[in-house]
Amino acid sequence: MDYCLDIISDEEKEILQEIMNIAFGKAAADLAEVINIFVVLSVPNIELLNSQDLPSYLKTQVSEYERVSIVEQNFWGDFKGSAFLVFQASAGRELVALFGDNSDDFGSESIDALEKETLMEVGNILIGACVGKLSELLGDAVTYSPPRVVTENTHNDAIPTNIFESGSSAIVLKTVFCFNERNVNGFLFLVTSNDSILWLKKSLATFMEQYE
Amino acid sequence: MTLNELTQVFDTVNFGLVVLDRDIKIQYWNRWMAMHSGLPSEQIIGEPLFDFFPHLNTPGFNKNCKAVLSFGNFAFFSQKLHRFLFPFKPDSSFGYRFDLMQQSCTMGPLRSDDNSISGLFLIVQDVTELATYEQKLVEMNTKDVLTGIYNRRFLESRLQEEFERHRRHSHPLSLIMIDIDFFKKVNDNYGHQCGDAVLQAVAGKTSSVIRKTDFVARYGGEEFCCLLPETSVTAAEIVAENIRTHIEQIENIFEGNTIKVTISLGISGLMDKDSPETLLKRADDALYQAKHSGRNRFVRF
Repeated sequence: MDYCLDIISDEEKEILQEIMNIAFGKAAADLAEVINIFVVLSVPNIELLNSQDLPSYLKTQVSEYERVSIVEQNFWGDFKGSAFLVFQASAGRELVALFGDNSDDFGSESIDALEKETLMEVGNILIGACVGKLSELLGDAVTYSPPRVVTENTHNDAIPTNIFESGSSAIVLKTVFCFNERNVNGFLFLVTSNDSILWLKKSLATFMEQYE
Repeated sequence: MTLNELTQVFDTVNFGLVVLDRDIKIQYWNRWMAMHSGLPSEQIIGEPLFDFFPHLNTPGFNKNCKAVLSFGNFAFFSQKLHRFLFPFKPDSSFGYRFDLMQQSCTMGPLRSDDNSISGLFLIVQDVTELATYEQKLVEMNTKDVLTGIYNRRFLESRLQEEFERHRRHSHPLSLIMIDIDFFKKVNDNYGHQCGDAVLQAVAGKTSSVIRKTDFVARYGGEEFCCLLPETSVTAAEIVAENIRTHIEQIENIFEGNTIKVTISLGISGLMDKDSPETLLKRADDALYQAKHSGRNRFVRF
């Protein structure tokens, strides 16, 4: 575990936390203004982990939810990694009520399929806003894979066990979010691996230069 | 590589490529789009997208455009949810079940040199063939080959879903088990082909008389099961009686013989502390009673 802690210094960690704060604040403001999603994002938390410990860390973090729905999306640029949005399983129905614009004819699609698609759309926008603002502040522009969703599983089944190769380390950026109007909340984890760390250190330094 | 060379590539790829500015006016329209829409790029470039495709001017589509323009994220318009963005005829009408081309579309940001977002691109992929395969596979997996109604596997997964939904909202849910009376005699006297024809007739009649929201599945050999969402047991009795009288009237003509069959039915309704299994079990028990009290009737548990 120890070598993880050396990857980025406490100071760098603090800067990153501050940047995330700014980024998520902007993301929340834009989400409200642009697409009428009122979302509160908590002060982010940063953990440095050995990649083998990542699945158990994620499980512990979401253990208060018995069943979860997870939206997973990969992003790549200089800033490269995976985003996991973890909702309580019941959130799908609430989100359909909140965001479904019902202009499409769903025909024979069951309500489950509708929930799944809504989770994906909401996840795509929420992840896009957070990752987008963060990478923008760090001077990068990223590309996204289509989101994938796992619904209503116990968190033991839903969390992938092989997110990164063993032996590598991971930086986990965690925030708790909550939609104002409804009682929908969840966790957003951004997990980035070794590959991005050199770039990240450099970007953090560049970011600080403008204040020095 | 020159712009000319890139344009040649964009005009020969087998997917649609559209570039929009921040005001959703068309800046680029590749040949694939021109070919399928019948709108040449000279005619459409510089024009607002919504002038040509007003149906896209929905809150959902606009929301996605705004998100891409402000966050620089990607937006995905899956075939599952949207069917298509642009109403084009399918590439080939051969073997496709769709009147319009099924599309999977991706939208993403375009950035200028200073990294600000100047517009967006839209990639349109024809997934009609894939969607057709998927539909066929789903059908093969959910339908009974002989009768064309749902199979037991589908019924069981649907029952699970409906069971959870109804329990959550405490809505009534009913189940009818149906069994053809003396079916073995039909097989023994007239042969299995005749038996098959009778099964098809009973399945066809039942699915045509139940309501649009109900499901009927072939549960076993000559056993069928109806799932009645949002239906009390009392209302289910009316449905059951309606099925019974219709089946009784069918005249199956097979090799010059007229064969008439009757059915017995067992009804159960969702109760507290139920599971899908106990709900099925009670309908089955009621069916057993219907059989033992003379057949051609329904019994409510």
